[in-house]
Amino acid sequence: MRRKILAAIIVAAITFAAIYQAQSQTTLTVGIFAGSNWNVPQGETYAIIDEVRKNFEAENPNVKIKYISGIKKEDYSEWLAEQFLDGSEPDVFFILADDFNMYASIGALMNLESFIAEDKNFSTDVYYPSAFNFGKYENISYALPAESNLTFMFVNKTLLAKEGIALPKNNWTWKDFLEICRKVTRDTDGDGIVNQFGYYDYSWQQAAISNGVKFFRDDGRTSYFADSRMEEAIKFLMELRSLNGNFEVTPKDFDVGRVAFRPFTFAQYRTYKPYPWKIKKYSSFEWDCVKMPAGSSGGNISAMDSLLVAISSRTRNKDLAWALLKKICYDKTTQQLILKKSQALPVRRDVITSVEAQEFFSWDSNETAAIATIDISSAMDKAIMPFKFKNYNSAMLYADTEIHKILTGIIPLNNALNKLQKEINAQLQH
Amino acid sequence: MQKFSNVKEMHRLLYGYNGFVIFVLMAFMCLTQERINQAMTARAFLESAGAVPQSSVVIFFTTTAAFLLFILVGHFYRKSQRRHVRYLLFAAEIVICMFLMRFLNLSYDGVVLLVVADLMYKYEGHRQEYTLLVAMICLYFIANYNMAIFQTKIISFEAYASYYNADAKAVILAIKNTFYSLNIVCFVFYLVLLVKNKHEEKERIRLLNEKLEEANQRLRAYAIEVAQMAETRERNRLAREIHDTLGHALTGIAAGLDACIMTLEIAPEVTKQQLNKIRDAAKKGITDVRRSVKKLRPDDLERLPFQEALMEMTRNYSESSGMEITFDIFSWSDNLRQDQEDVIYRVLQESITNAKRHGHATKVKITIGGNEKYLLIVIADNGEGCDKVKQGFGLKHMRERLELLHGTIHYWSDEGFIVEAMIPLNGDAYYGKNSDS
Repeated sequence: MRRKILAAIIVAAITFAAIYQAQSQTTLTVGIFAGSNWNVPQGETYAIIDEVRKNFEAENPNVKIKYISGIKKEDYSEWLAEQFLDGSEPDVFFILADDFNMYASIGALMNLESFIAEDKNFSTDVYYPSAFNFGKYENISYALPAESNLTFMFVNKTLLAKEGIALPKNNWTWKDFLEICRKVTRDTDGDGIVNQFGYYDYSWQQAAISNGVKFFRDDGRTSYFADSRMEEAIKFLMELRSLNGNFEVTPKDFDVGRVAFRPFTFAQYRTYKPYPWKIKKYSSFEWDCVKMPAGSSGGNISAMDSLLVAISSRTRNKDLAWALLKKICYDKTTQQLILKKSQALPVRRDVITSVEAQEFFSWDSNETAAIATIDISSAMDKAIMPFKFKNYNSAMLYADTEIHKILTGIIPLNNALNKLQKEINAQLQH
Repeated sequence: MQKFSNVKEMHRLLYGYNGFVIFVLMAFMCLTQERINQAMTARAFLESAGAVPQSSVVIFFTTTAAFLLFILVGHFYRKSQRRHVRYLLFAAEIVICMFLMRFLNLSYDGVVLLVVADLMYKYEGHRQEYTLLVAMICLYFIANYNMAIFQTKIISFEAYASYYNADAKAVILAIKNTFYSLNIVCFVFYLVLLVKNKHEEKERIRLLNEKLEEANQRLRAYAIEVAQMAETRERNRLAREIHDTLGHALTGIAAGLDACIMTLEIAPEVTKQQLNKIRDAAKKGITDVRRSVKKLRPDDLERLPFQEALMEMTRNYSESSGMEITFDIFSWSDNLRQDQEDVIYRVLQESITNAKRHGHATKVKITIGGNEKYLLIVIADNGEGCDKVKQGFGLKHMRERLELLHGTIHYWSDEGFIVEAMIPLNGDAYYGKNSDS
C-alpha cells in the first residue's frame, strides 16, 4: 500500500515537472551589434531583429528572445569574447568576418552540418555559393549569411558629362577605365597642379580579382602571387598610377566631385543615394554605380562580403537556436525585411530576384540609374568570396606593403612577385 | 605502528599538497579570466587560447568536485579488501585523474603521482611487480594520450600567464614549476617512507617469529618437565598410598600376627578372635589398595558403565579420526572385574590406534563374544596390514597386560589386520589355566 502511494507521488511529481517544463519559458539570447556591418550610417538599428523576435515568439509561445542593445560594432568583438570567457555567450550571435575563423577553430561555434542535412525545410540552394561558403571553416558550415555586400564602381556622371564622355557600360574593361582616366586627369584651373583625377581608392586587390586572380589556395597554405594575371594587374595599376604623376588623390577631391571613379559598396550606394543622405554627401554632382571594370583575363567581378550568424557550441537549446538562426538567415519574410530595412543585400536568391527587389534597386526613377540595369543576382553569383583563414590578415598586410613598394617603384617588378609568393608561402606554412 | 602512521601522514600530506596546488592553479586561472575580462583583452586571449574557456564558476565547481571525488575513490581504494573492487576503484581513480587534469587545462599533472602513490600503497610485492609495471606504463600513456586528445581543446597555462607582463610571467611559471618539483620531492619521500616502512614491518615479523619459536621451545621443555613432575607426583602418591594403606595394614597385620604367635598357645580363643581382626584389617587393606589403584583408571571407566565407556571411547576416536568403527556384541559378561575392564579398554584403545596409525584403515569392526568361561574380542580393520608383524611397544604391552589376566593375544594380516584377544572370566579358569601353564 505504502509502495503504491509512493509510486503515485513520484508519477504526480514527474507529471508536474513535465507540465512545468512545458509551460516554463526558454530564453534565447542573441548577440547583435548596433549599426551597420558595412560602415555606413544606419537608422533603425534593431528593426530587423525586433521583427524577428516578434515573429519567432509568436511561433514559439514558450520562447523569449533577449538581446543586449547598444553594443557598438567596434566593441562587439571584445564584448563577445568576454561573454565566452564568462561562459555567458549568447545562443545565437552575429559574428564579424575577422572573428569567424578564430571562433570556428577553437570549437566555439556549433557545427551546422547535421542540422543542414536533417532539416527538410532547409536547403542551401537558396543561397549564393559565395555567401553560403563564407560561413564555412575547413569545409564545415559553422554559420549562415544574413546579408551580403557587393562592391561596385561609383561613377561621377557630372564629371564625365562635362568631359563629354559616355557613362561606361556594365561590361566595360580595364582598357575603357584607363582610357577615361587618361582623359579626365588634368589640370582644370591652369595652376599647373593636376586637380581632376580618374580614380580614387582603387586597390590592387580589386584589380587582381577582376582579372581572375585567386590569391590563395582555399586551405590558406599556398599563395598564387606569381600568377601571370597578377602581373597583368600590377602592370595595369602602374599604368593607372602613372597618370596621376606625383599627385596624391585625397578623399576631399572625391567628395567635391573632382574624381571620376571610386569603388563603392552596395551598402554605401543604398545609404547615400536616397534622401536624406543624398543631400548631405555627394550633392554637388550626379553619380551612379556600374560594375567593376573587367581585366583582360578576368571579368566584371568583385568581392562579396557577408555578415554571418552562428550558434554557440555550448547552447542548451540547440534546436531552438537553429530555428532562430533560420528565422534570421533563411526566413523569407526576414530576408525581405533586410531588403527594405538594411543597406545590404539579402542572401536569398528568390528575394534578390523578386519583383519588390527589382523595384527597390531602381527607386531613382527620375533618372536612368545604371545600377538598375545590373543583374545583381548574376553579379552575386560570380562574386568572389573573401579569404579569412587564420594567417590571412598578416599575409595580406605583408603582401600589401610589398606590392605598394612595387607600385611606387621602390622595388622593380622583374621578379618581385615570385619572391613575394615564396615569402608569403613560407609565412603560411607556420 | 608508529612508523606506519608516518606513511599515512605523508600520504595525507601528499593529498593535501596536491589539493593546495590544484586550488592555487584553479584560482589563478579563474582570477586571470576575470582580470582579462576587466582589462578588455578577451578577444586577444581567445585568439591565443585556441579553445573555448569555461567560466570561472564552472572551473571552480568542476575542479573542486573532481578532486573531492578523487579523494573519496582513493580512500575506498586503499580501504578495499576485495581485489576486483580494488581494480575497479583504481580504474575509476585514473578516469577521475584524467578529468581533473582536463579541468586544469593539463597545466598540472602531479595528480598522476597521486595515483601512483595510491597504487604503491597497495603494492604487495611478489607477482605484483608486473602488475605495477603495467599500471605505471599505462598511466604514462594515459597521461600522454590525455595530452594528445585534449591538445586542441585546452588552453595552455602559458596563455594564462601571457596575460601578465614578462617579469610576472616568469615568476608565475617559476612558481608553477616549483609546485611540480615539490610534488615530486614529496612523492619520492613518500616512496622512501613506504619502502622503509615495508622493510621494517618485515623485520618486525621476523623478530616476532623468532620470539615465537623461542616461546614454543620453552613450552615444549615445560611440557616435558610437567609430565615428569606428574609422573613423580604419581609415584609419590603411590608410595604414599602404599605406605598409608598397605604399609599401615601390613604393619598392623605383622604386629597382630606377632601378638597371635605369643597368645596362640596360651589363649587360642583370643588368638582366633585376633586373627579375625587381622583378616578384617587385611581385607580393609585390599579395599584401600583397590581404591588407590582406581584413581589411576581412565575417566570414562570411572564415570560410565563399562560398555558405555567403550562406546564413548570408540565414538570419540572415530569422530576425531574419521574412522568408521562398528560393534558386534554377541555376549557380554556383567560381572567383569575392574582389572579386566581396564585391560579390555586398553586393548581396544591400542588396536584402534594401531589400525589408524599403521594400517591407515578407514573401517574397524569390533566383535565381542564368548561364554561364561572366557571373553573373546576380535578387532578387524580394512587397513594395509603387513606381511611380517613386527611386535612394537603397543602389542607387547597388550600381551603383557593380557598375560597378567592369563589371557592370550593373536594377531595376523588378512584383508587388513586382525587382533584376537581372549580373557578368562572366572576364578576356576584363572587357576585352571595357571596350573596348565
